Amino acid sequence: MNPESQTQARRAKAGGAKIIRYRGVIKRYGDFQALAGVDLDVHAGEVVCLIGPSGSGKSTLLRCTNGLESIQGGDIEFEGAALPREERELRAVRTRMGMVFQSFELFPHLTALANVAEGPRTVLAKDQAEANRRASAMLAKVGLADKAPNYPSALSGGQQQRVAIARALAMEPDVMLFDEPTSALDPETIGEVLNVMKQLADEGMTMVVVTHEMTFARRVGDWIAVFDSGRIVEQGPPAQIFDAPTTERTRDFLSHLGWTG
Amino acid sequence: MTFDWSVVWQHRDALIAATGTTILLTFATMAIAVPCGIVVAALRLYGWAPVRAIATAYVELFRNLPLILVVYWAFYVLPIMTGLGLSPLATGLAALVLNVTAYNAETFRAGINSIRRGQVEAAMALGMSRMQALRRVVLPQALRRILPVLASTWVSLFKDTSLVSVIAVTELAYVAMQIRAQTFRVLEMLTAMAAIYWLLGYPQAKLVDWMQRRFAVTE
Repeated sequence: MNPESQTQARRAKAGGAKIIRYRGVIKRYGDFQALAGVDLDVHAGEVVCLIGPSGSGKSTLLRCTNGLESIQGGDIEFEGAALPREERELRAVRTRMGMVFQSFELFPHLTALANVAEGPRTVLAKDQAEANRRASAMLAKVGLADKAPNYPSALSGGQQQRVAIARALAMEPDVMLFDEPTSALDPETIGEVLNVMKQLADEGMTMVVVTHEMTFARRVGDWIAVFDSGRIVEQGPPAQIFDAPTTERTRDFLSHLGWTG
Repeated sequence: MTFDWSVVWQHRDALIAATGTTILLTFATMAIAVPCGIVVAALRLYGWAPVRAIATAYVELFRNLPLILVVYWAFYVLPIMTGLGLSPLATGLAALVLNVTAYNAETFRAGINSIRRGQVEAAMALGMSRMQALRRVVLPQALRRILPVLASTWVSLFKDTSLVSVIAVTELAYVAMQIRAQTFRVLEMLTAMAAIYWLLGYPQAKLVDWMQRRFAVTE
């Protein structure tokens, strides 16, 4: 397939609906420009993987998406409306975006079940029974129904990250943001987390994934954006990025990772 | 030198009542100083700049003044300032609360600061407000971490209540000293006082040790 027909295939799968639209996004920390004008579209039902060297701005873009970081220039649109700046409106947007962190950030004082029930309970004001029912269903979905009464400290890294995914899913978000979800994991538990993510993708969840797992990006990603120094140096379907990269920077980055296709 | 320990038994009712006052003072002080400490800590952490400055000034003032001075100050200055004729017990309680609140505020502030930023971000990513994140995520974890510190403060406070004897609060130290003055049984009364403080204080200290083990944070 040539790149144009791949792009068309992408649109067809997504039904053309853009869920997130980044235009000229600029983010500065003092004198440091973390994002130097990023343009990217995320369509409904699509898995967009952000790859690139550390410090290239991938995670920053993700954190700007749900307003954990504010932007200094450009626009981010979510479901057709500019990301609000006002705190209350921003909170309403966040309930529709699930986020999974590199360091899990489960609440250590709560059991796995209570972690997952916390969002529905506190933010959506569901009653305890309804919140727990939803939490049980989500834990079952990530294959951890039997770990409901366990505290995070009694779970492996992979299990903790799956609980964190369940916690985000319990809010029934329209899009899931993954910030290097497997970078803090032991190699033997990475697979179980990626499998859950693959399953989500297969179910049609819209996902933006910052990752160093090139195999995952290639197999599961519908669209790949390669970052360098706060810019997207190349974006396209995985076949283009991994087999026929059009920029020297992408080739460099992939060869540094030992990527051979 | 002969000892007459019967003097302790003869005054048992007064000593028991005084011990009750000491325990009451400890409980009452903590019951007020814990919520006040949380409020002062929250003002220092999240308050509007001038409010933050006032909270900081309060903490630094009372943390660095000898408690006995605060007790005297409360006795002489509070009635003038407030126009209220407070009882010695209420005055002593006020002095203790002012002092312990300052300590608790620092303890809470340190506890809140010890919780990783990522925890608040995880709460906010779910759509929680800062207040909800503080109440549901940060404070429950911070409380566990600082419980042993609060317990140590409690044990110190239990002993420090003796300082309000200087303004005639009829707690254990004051009453024991009064009996000593009336009977001239110095050694007996001091020993009895020491025994009561120790017997009550030792289990509390052991409880603190137990809490430190029980609530050790596992992440």
